[in-house]
Amino acid sequence: MKWGFVGPVLALLILFNIFPLFYNIVLSFSNAELSGGGWQWVGTHNYGVIFADPKYGAAIRTTGLFVAVAVTLELILGFVLALALRDNFPGKTVVLTVLLVPMMLSPAVMGLYWNLVLNGHYGILNQILGACGLALDNQPQWLTSNRLKLFSILIIDIWMWTPFMMLIAMAGLNSIPRHLYEAAEIDRAGRWTVFRRITLPLCAPLLILAVLLRTTDALKQFDLVMAITGPDDAATQTLSALLYQSIFRNFKVGLGSAYACVTLVIVIALATVFTRYIDSIQRRQGRIDA
Amino acid sequence: MKALRSVVIAVYFAVAAMPLAWMAVTSFKHTRDTILAQPKYIPALSQSAPHSPLFQVSLEAYRKLNAPYAGTDRTYFNYLVNSVVIGLLSTVASVVLGTFCAYGFSRFRIPGGRDWLFFILSTRFLPPLAVIAPVLTMYRQFDLPNTHLGLVLLYTVFNLSLSVWLMKGFIDDIPRAYEEAALVDGYSRLRAFFLIIIPQASRGMAVTAVFCLIAALNEYGFAMTLNSYRAVTVPVYFAGLQKNIDGIPWPQVAAGVILFVVPVIVFTVLVRRHLLRGVTFGTVKQ
Repeated sequence: MKWGFVGPVLALLILFNIFPLFYNIVLSFSNAELSGGGWQWVGTHNYGVIFADPKYGAAIRTTGLFVAVAVTLELILGFVLALALRDNFPGKTVVLTVLLVPMMLSPAVMGLYWNLVLNGHYGILNQILGACGLALDNQPQWLTSNRLKLFSILIIDIWMWTPFMMLIAMAGLNSIPRHLYEAAEIDRAGRWTVFRRITLPLCAPLLILAVLLRTTDALKQFDLVMAITGPDDAATQTLSALLYQSIFRNFKVGLGSAYACVTLVIVIALATVFTRYIDSIQRRQGRIDA
Repeated sequence: MKALRSVVIAVYFAVAAMPLAWMAVTSFKHTRDTILAQPKYIPALSQSAPHSPLFQVSLEAYRKLNAPYAGTDRTYFNYLVNSVVIGLLSTVASVVLGTFCAYGFSRFRIPGGRDWLFFILSTRFLPPLAVIAPVLTMYRQFDLPNTHLGLVLLYTVFNLSLSVWLMKGFIDDIPRAYEEAALVDGYSRLRAFFLIIIPQASRGMAVTAVFCLIAALNEYGFAMTLNSYRAVTVPVYFAGLQKNIDGIPWPQVAAGVILFVVPVIVFTVLVRRHLLRGVTFGTVKQ
């Protein structure tokens, strides 16, 4: 009876997730190509290529840099916004709704549209910067300059995902009992002490949850890279972009699968940290409820 | 301090809303007015010189969405229909399967229950591009690439983690006493599920459906790699325009994006109270 309720979902997830994981490992020892046809075992040849060719390591570094910068800035900005939005003011609901919109939109679609905003010649960003007296004679080429491309993708990602951090930080701030602040006031605690001893520590569990969620998501970064530079640009090639390039542009399924396996080790390690953390939070909540 | 807060909010609001506002403005322009060094941001009825900030308002972009686009016999609306059909079918499937599964985990002692739940959650973290090669090989066996069914299946599975976790949160909130009373009255487990749980959980199911639908509409990685024709969705279509040699028709893009995102924005407003639950897979309840 009970397996009747949960069985179909588990079967589908195993078929679409566990099976590909193992099949990936099989393919990674082969010279399979996208066009299909026969393939042969090539042993650890693919892994040899990955560890010899610097572009594979570079993609891991690019992804790491992207994740670190994006998540850090989103966390700081989101938390600052949540703090600023603590008091009520007229029109707060409308402001909040507008701020939350970007995270619900499609990254691929918005990525294409941002090409219009960031274009070096006719983009509104450079025109606004120009009107403010900045960068007038030396228009930054956000989309084509090797130094700026990754930065542009970061700008879009931060635009899309800062509201996510803000939303979770606001929930954290709301959950802090008011009497703690009243007690601090009676004790004449300074603003900074209150922040450091009450606000920050009590928000921390939710902020960590938000950081983990964003990290696992940012690690998959593909849509914006495709929209801004395409998959084969050394300046912005993330793990997913390189996987796409190997499998669908160079048709090397075997090689791509080997790289996918390396990627998956990183992803699964992070996912484990993440699920453990949620488990601990939920157990703690359960104890409080009981 | 209060002033500082207002400034922070005002500045961020202006920066965040600018791209959205500019998109709306762009959708009412002629293409020639979108690629000038001087921005045109004031709507006017007639055309004016290239360096003036006035632009001629036009509905041309919205009208052109209905015209076949460069080298294909398809219009924007073909892709929109694909997106909506695939999104709706997969959403219904995900929510139904997810509700059954969540009920099972909520009410029965399932061996390894927590481990299974975390397995379900962790499927969400797999990057599409890291599992696409085996999925594509599998799909080819069954002739599923370039079909609506292929994407519906994949999105259904992709959204199961979200629907199971969200629905588990909602079903956990329904008191067990209701269905226990029904079971004592001689209802079968299945009848109690349909007559007691489903009506109680219907709001949760609607909220879950909204999040599944948005995820399915926005998905790009799978849609792009499994499709080159027939079941092409809006994100894949737009992303493909980037390589357009004649330049990108910005007003049409803006108009198309607006038609695509307005429903998403409406849904966001509708589920605003549950947004936190939705984006954290139900792990944070407010």
